[in-house]
Amino acid sequence: MSTREHLLSGEALGQRYALAVPQTALAGMTGSQLGRRAGNSIDFQDYREYQPGDDLRTIDWGVFARTDRLTIKLFREEVNPHLDLLLDASRSMALDNTPKSAATLRLAALLGTAAENAHCTHATWLAGDGFQRAANDMMLPSAWDGLGFASRRPLDEAFTILPPRLRRLGIRVLISDLMWPGEPLSILRRLADGAAAVFVVQLLAQADTEPPEHGNVQLVDSETGEEREIFVDATVAAQFREALARHRESWDAACRQTGARFVSLVAEKLDASLPALEEAQLLVPA
Amino acid sequence: MLPERTGMPFLTYPLALLAAAALPALAAIYILRNRYRRREVSSLMLWQFAVLSREGGAKVNKLQLPLVFFLELLALALLVTAATGPRWQLPAHARPLVVILDDSASMLAGDSAAANTASPNSPRAKAAAALDDLLKSRKFLSIRLVLAGPKPRVLGSAATTATEVREALAQWTCQSPDAALDAAIALANDLGGPQSQLLVLTDHAPPGTEFSGDRVQWWAFGTTHPNLAFVNATRTTHGESDRVLLEVANYSASAAATAAYRITSGSNLLRSATLTLEPRARQRLILNLPAGTPAIEAALAADTLAADNRVTLLPAVRKRIRVQNSLEDAALRSLVDKALEASGLRSSLSAAPEIILHNARATPAGTNAWGLRFLAETNAATPHTGPFIVDTAHPLARGLSLDGVVWTASPPGTNQFGLPVITAGNTPLLAVTEDALRRQQITLHLISDRSTLTATPNWPIFFWNLLTWRARETPGLVESNFRLGSEVSVRALTNSVQLILPGGATRTLTKSAEEFVLEPETPGLYTVNAGNSSWQFAVNLLAPEESDLATAKSGKWGEWEKPEEARREYASVLWLFVLGALVVMVTHLFLVTHSKGRV
Repeated sequence: MSTREHLLSGEALGQRYALAVPQTALAGMTGSQLGRRAGNSIDFQDYREYQPGDDLRTIDWGVFARTDRLTIKLFREEVNPHLDLLLDASRSMALDNTPKSAATLRLAALLGTAAENAHCTHATWLAGDGFQRAANDMMLPSAWDGLGFASRRPLDEAFTILPPRLRRLGIRVLISDLMWPGEPLSILRRLADGAAAVFVVQLLAQADTEPPEHGNVQLVDSETGEEREIFVDATVAAQFREALARHRESWDAACRQTGARFVSLVAEKLDASLPALEEAQLLVPA
Repeated sequence: MLPERTGMPFLTYPLALLAAAALPALAAIYILRNRYRRREVSSLMLWQFAVLSREGGAKVNKLQLPLVFFLELLALALLVTAATGPRWQLPAHARPLVVILDDSASMLAGDSAAANTASPNSPRAKAAAALDDLLKSRKFLSIRLVLAGPKPRVLGSAATTATEVREALAQWTCQSPDAALDAAIALANDLGGPQSQLLVLTDHAPPGTEFSGDRVQWWAFGTTHPNLAFVNATRTTHGESDRVLLEVANYSASAAATAAYRITSGSNLLRSATLTLEPRARQRLILNLPAGTPAIEAALAADTLAADNRVTLLPAVRKRIRVQNSLEDAALRSLVDKALEASGLRSSLSAAPEIILHNARATPAGTNAWGLRFLAETNAATPHTGPFIVDTAHPLARGLSLDGVVWTASPPGTNQFGLPVITAGNTPLLAVTEDALRRQQITLHLISDRSTLTATPNWPIFFWNLLTWRARETPGLVESNFRLGSEVSVRALTNSVQLILPGGATRTLTKSAEEFVLEPETPGLYTVNAGNSSWQFAVNLLAPEESDLATAKSGKWGEWEKPEEARREYASVLWLFVLGALVVMVTHLFLVTHSKGRV
């Protein structure tokens, strides 16, 4: 299947969901939803005395007639909540013989569609040699373009080279396998800074979660090309599982520390894992 | 003819080696199993422990895996070897080897043979090299050598190494006129016992069309060559002169040959000429020499076999016996004298007689004289026409043929003397007894005028026998020229004699019987010294069968043992391999069960 087909598939899947917009996210720019501040929407919010500089169009002349006081009407600010979708575009997300890239594209399209359903604006960032916006990312996911997973840099380096310009009070979702050895807190702090909500979705292939079968295996790092020969036995397999569990635990702990939410999904079981996103209050049924 | 077999099969069932194909199969399984499967992973960060952790199986297992593999490989190899029924030639079970060496002169035949030496191409040299190779390739409990000359003879004591055998082979000179291989094989069989292996080294094929020697291998290294040879050489007295007879043979299968020969006496050339001989033909040369002519030598031009190209002939022995004829009957005395003179062996009575012919009952005087008593009593004389019973082995009876003879004699009565040599019924006609002084006393019952004996050839033959017998009993040699292989009898009055061999070596012989019996081993001139007396005799090869190289052959026949016999000699070591495989498999099991699933 092509990238477009995966996006279409994710888009179709996302029709059932809407992005769960947290209250803090309603402080965005002028948009389709009422914000917490006064704005230009038609919804009346309050009165206050005129102050020089206020728009004369907001003076409630009826009140002036009755009270001879210049009073202006305050309306609710009308805002659009925003989703910043950060995709790990490293090669490991397109691991050979796994549906990892397809699942990433579907999940991204699903979230993009859910954002549309929630009347949220959305932006899709690809973490390669720095963060780049995907082409047409403001449109429906099926129109997105330039999505590829060929970077050899880990995600934390992309933050260093060219960080994304994330919308303030936006919802930020990071989709990655988190397979780099760096400290998670530094990235999570960047993501959490000014965000209404941060979600870290770890998307792994089944092959990432299970060690190879018993025997000699030559492991090849999909990003660096580094090779390592290893004999896999019961001990090694157990140690691998422990290492993976520790890695997840470190991210989970870091997420809790920064107020982010951590969800781990398996690419092969993406459809069945969507309730986990609901539990994490990222999605709600549309 | 069987192929050469110098080694025994180590494996009883060599076809079981086909099971060895399991070894590469096992290796292939391990190679495929141990081949590193390439697998791309998202990151190696989760595998760092495999290098850092000592408990991780990677390094340890890499070491264990080959060990298990090699154990399995070893176990398989041991089981495959066990399946072949391996047998080990244990030193204690090795058989003794007895080598029968053909010592006949033809073993020295070669392209450039010099007298009495072996050329590199001679059968002897080839056989010695083959024996050396055999001893290098195979071990024997002991090695004994039997020299097959006219009589088999054991060479030295048992050897155990090839070096000892090489030293003993120096005595293998191949100077004999004949090789009694059958007798030598019998001796070797007795010598080595029933477990021994016999090896015959010769230059001709085994007798018969099919060789079925049990435990015997027959190796022949002969090559067919044309050869000219002296096959007969005699020098006899002929009146007052010597008569020399030489016989030359051409032993070529097809080509006529020209034989140049020279006959010399010291530095004097007696005759030099050339003979032309058809294939397989013989030609005689006769030469009359004055009686005083010393030793003569005849020689042919050099050819393949040197030993038969030269003969030496000494003057014939002339032993004359002093005979005193004291017979009373003048007619009989005359008949006797005629017979004695005709023999040519009677000498004049210059000293004490050695034989006395008489009619007396008493033993004649004289310490050394033999007596021949004629008894011609006519009382109850009976003519006998036969059949006569003759002791043909007696020296006096040689050549006698009494058919048709009328022999008149009286019954012996009380005149029975000695053992009868000739009898007619129960009537002894000729009897011989030996007295206390070891003198022979002969009694002849004969009425000559009523008998025909004196008119037959038996009469001079009898006296020739008598004088020859007496001459044989005198000190010295009877003949002076002998064929190689014949016994030489020397009678001496001393208790020991000194024998000087052709090469100059001396040997002292001690008297053990009446005569010294010598067995010359090489051709040439021998000298016997006994006190003040000295005699010489010549020995020549003169062996037509050895000179005839047309029948020489090369090849190998026979085998030492059958497979079932080999199993007795080669102890089975199957148990050793099975035990080894069990140990390896137990070790393997231990490693597998204690490796916690790492293998």
